[in-house]
Amino acid sequence: MDHQNKKPLAPETPDLENAVSVEDTEPLDKNIRLMSPGRMVMRRFFRSKLSVVGLVMIISLFLFCWAGPLVFNTWGETTQDTTGKVEYTQQEVKYTVNGEEFSFVQVVETGKEINSLAKPDDQHILGTDKNGRDVFTRLMYGGRISLMVSFIAVFAITLFGIVFGGIAGYFGGVIDNMIMRICDILMCLPGFPILLIIGTLLDSAGVESQHRIYYLMAYLTLFSWPGTARLVRGQILSLREQEYMVAAEAMGYSVPRKIFKHLIPNVMPQLIVSMTLSLGSMILYEASLSYLNMGVRAPYAAWGTMINIVAEDPNILQNYFNVWGPPGICIIIAVLGFNFVGDGLRDALDPKMRR
Amino acid sequence: MVKYIIKRLGLSVLILLGVSLIIYILVRSMPVDFIENKIAAMNQGGAVIPEETVQNMKELYGLEDNSFLGILKGYGNWLAKICQFDFGTSFKYGSPVIDVIRDHMGVSFAVAFIATIFEFMIAIPLGITAATHQYSFRDYLVTVLVMIGISLPAFFFGQVLKDLFANKLGWFPPSGLVDATQSYTGIALFLDYLKHMFIPVLTVVILSIGARMRMTRTNMLEVLNSDYIRTARAKGLKEHKVIYKHAFRNTLIPLVTSLAGLLPSLFSGAIITEQVFDLPGIGNIAYKAMIEADIPFIMGYNMFLALLSVLGVLLADLMYAVVDPRVKLG
Repeated sequence: MDHQNKKPLAPETPDLENAVSVEDTEPLDKNIRLMSPGRMVMRRFFRSKLSVVGLVMIISLFLFCWAGPLVFNTWGETTQDTTGKVEYTQQEVKYTVNGEEFSFVQVVETGKEINSLAKPDDQHILGTDKNGRDVFTRLMYGGRISLMVSFIAVFAITLFGIVFGGIAGYFGGVIDNMIMRICDILMCLPGFPILLIIGTLLDSAGVESQHRIYYLMAYLTLFSWPGTARLVRGQILSLREQEYMVAAEAMGYSVPRKIFKHLIPNVMPQLIVSMTLSLGSMILYEASLSYLNMGVRAPYAAWGTMINIVAEDPNILQNYFNVWGPPGICIIIAVLGFNFVGDGLRDALDPKMRR
Repeated sequence: MVKYIIKRLGLSVLILLGVSLIIYILVRSMPVDFIENKIAAMNQGGAVIPEETVQNMKELYGLEDNSFLGILKGYGNWLAKICQFDFGTSFKYGSPVIDVIRDHMGVSFAVAFIATIFEFMIAIPLGITAATHQYSFRDYLVTVLVMIGISLPAFFFGQVLKDLFANKLGWFPPSGLVDATQSYTGIALFLDYLKHMFIPVLTVVILSIGARMRMTRTNMLEVLNSDYIRTARAKGLKEHKVIYKHAFRNTLIPLVTSLAGLLPSLFSGAIITEQVFDLPGIGNIAYKAMIEADIPFIMGYNMFLALLSVLGVLLADLMYAVVDPRVKLG
């Protein structure tokens, strides 16, 4: 034991203070702070400013997307503002009288049925898009889709990865070989082109536009689990040679119990880190698909879909940043938040990093 | 070594077979039938196409039987042709797939190559300073900046840069590869290309710097903690020498290895970036072909990508053994 922590148990000259509180003085434990591994991880995580910033970013985005529509409920996701508006356009008209040129400015008044492309005001916090839908409201509903879809996908990928990676790593031999070869094939499939192909397949199957993204992410899951499986397998290959696994063997535990109760928990730290980091990339994937009009389609909202309009209409790109800017910023906040948290978790969970 | 390479090559062939089978089945079940589209277009033009011709055309393209067995047969035919290095003729572009890929690869390669050079030139020094000043303000600043770079969606950031540099400032053309109003030749044409590639390259560089920088930082940190660096410092070597002569060399191992892994990204083209800037690169071409179900081209392009990534992984492993004498292949 570290004897600096030890206080003299019996002082030669008993003073008053010590004599009073004999039962309080716990000789050794008082000076040794006992912390569970979980608390140590938490402390290391919260000590890093970046991970706290990331956590705040993600929590506020979640609040914004799920609690936001309860507060700002004037407009729905797909409701168009049909209050109409009168638009004035100026036009210079030139005419010539007796060889002299005159000009006047003509103001044309046009009434529009839909209040489209409105500038931000107190009716529409971020204005309206081309079809008169409130951008701010769509931002919240779009975020729901983007965040939810990425979460589901990442959990599914992890589940597949754990099961197949665990089985491959534990059994080895032929099973391992087979699973790993399948992984090799799936990892070599070009991801984005395949998703484009599947996107057109969904078109013909007549899948409703708000469900498309779930199918696409399901396929994405199907092609993305090999990464996680490899990670799990690699860890398990080294773990299963350790003494505690010999002990588990000697206790006669069943195979599923050995894999999922004794091996997988030891892979969890790495898995959690890779899950957090892949959440960010899933959001990017979803957004890119929606941007290419493969995922969520108008009138339903997703962040990528909301930016999609820029590709068709250069006028919006140049003059209406309030329509396409905010969703982009939301994507950045979400991805950045998950990356910060993932980074913080990696440092916090790594036992080598004691600082 | 030779035995290892042969084994790996054999495995690669198996992988490619699996990949091609999956892609072929997917592509064949695509609903957008190129022939039907074509005939619909002809019908609209006023011509009436007899059913026989339609069947003949389908047979010509090898698409007549869409049952599972038919697809398998089609796959067999495709495979037989591949063995004779015949990738077929693109429906949409009307010329052999290999020619189409070759013609458009240049643009994608140029963008990716220039971007990669800049990426390494910027990311490695950044990674080294971040590692040598770990947990300092500089480290945090660099980390936060590159993390923002990683988190940017290509389509959004591309549009922002396009809006800024092309529309607001007017320094660079917004899209395309050549100025259609001018007919440049020689050096002027080359400069025009560069001018058009500026924003796409900038986009790619900013997006990809992060990963490379973080890789450099992690490796540098690992090396800096090793014993021989302590020895070097104990000998009284200058810090500059310790870092650039002793530590940096070992940091290079994973960086050089990752060069081989870059193979796919150099040639495959970036679908979204090319889409945003309307560059006639291979990604953009493939995107258009994919929407119209141009089966030979999709197959050719996807197999090209798969081949590149198989080769990339193999090269990276071999490279690792070449660069790092501690690694033994087996």
